[in-house]
Amino acid sequence: MDLASAERAIVKMATEPQRPNGDARSPQEVGDASLVARARSGDREAFGTLVDRYADQARRVARAVLQDPDDADDAAQDAFLAALVKLDQYDTARPFGPWLMRIVANAATDRRRRRKVRSAVSLDEGLVAGGARPDALAERAVLLGRLRSALAELPERRRVAVVLFDVEGYSHAEIAQVLGIPEGTVRSEVFHARRKLRALLADWRDEE
Amino acid sequence: MTDSHTPFDHRPDTRLGAALREALTAPGDRAAFVARVLAAPARPAAQPVEYFLARWAARGIVAAAAAAFVAGLVIGRARPSSEPTVSDADPGAMIADVQAEPNMLFASNPGH
Repeated sequence: MDLASAERAIVKMATEPQRPNGDARSPQEVGDASLVARARSGDREAFGTLVDRYADQARRVARAVLQDPDDADDAAQDAFLAALVKLDQYDTARPFGPWLMRIVANAATDRRRRRKVRSAVSLDEGLVAGGARPDALAERAVLLGRLRSALAELPERRRVAVVLFDVEGYSHAEIAQVLGIPEGTVRSEVFHARRKLRALLADWRDEE
Repeated sequence: MTDSHTPFDHRPDTRLGAALREALTAPGDRAAFVARVLAAPARPAAQPVEYFLARWAARGIVAAAAAAFVAGLVIGRARPSSEPTVSDADPGAMIADVQAEPNMLFASNPGH
């Protein structure tokens, strides 16, 4: 991303006078569009509220693409800074979430393409291979590891689609906007992802 | 996940969603992440080596082109004006004033 532009935007926020305290509404009560408008005018607090509001979601979507949590955080950070630079391009008449998630998904995909192939051996694989399950916590960890591994085997677009739909609650139309694909394709991607992941969960349930 | 759900269901699968959420939620603190994002442009970001090489390469090419241009100008102006130059005049006109002697012309042909 254009680091210089992001830096200029942050410097602008830091140097321009902040919003007076006359606004009775708390940042949480203000809608995304209003926060974007304030962030555009240099309100650092408003941008911080947007980041806080979407941080978890952005990190999960990035992790669905990248798997590695550190890489995902880096990609999510890149996405927020890119969004800050592009705030003028955001249409406030449309929901902010899909617009931001598109940037997040693109940032994660770019990072995945750039990074070198790393050793894929991870703790999760060891867990998937089976082993002692001394307590419920360990069992849960095994399940989550299996789920991550199963998710990683899905095509990238399918991963993002199912996470946006079943985890983040976006509609098919919004996901179509995020991924730049037809709505029918989104339904198909979610269908195939669910079929595989549900089978995993069902197997786990049977084992319990 | 409930038994009433089918893969075609247009409603989010809460059980699957909750499990995925737990699997994908980063272990780190959200507040720390937010602070990191807000602080990011204030400090020099770590850039890959390729980024600097690309910037240096671009600057190097521009500098080399400028140096070559300046050198060409300097050399061009420093060339002495008395130095013979290639003429584009008509070769026939250049030797028109030279009168060859007949003896010299026939000396190479003993038969004449």
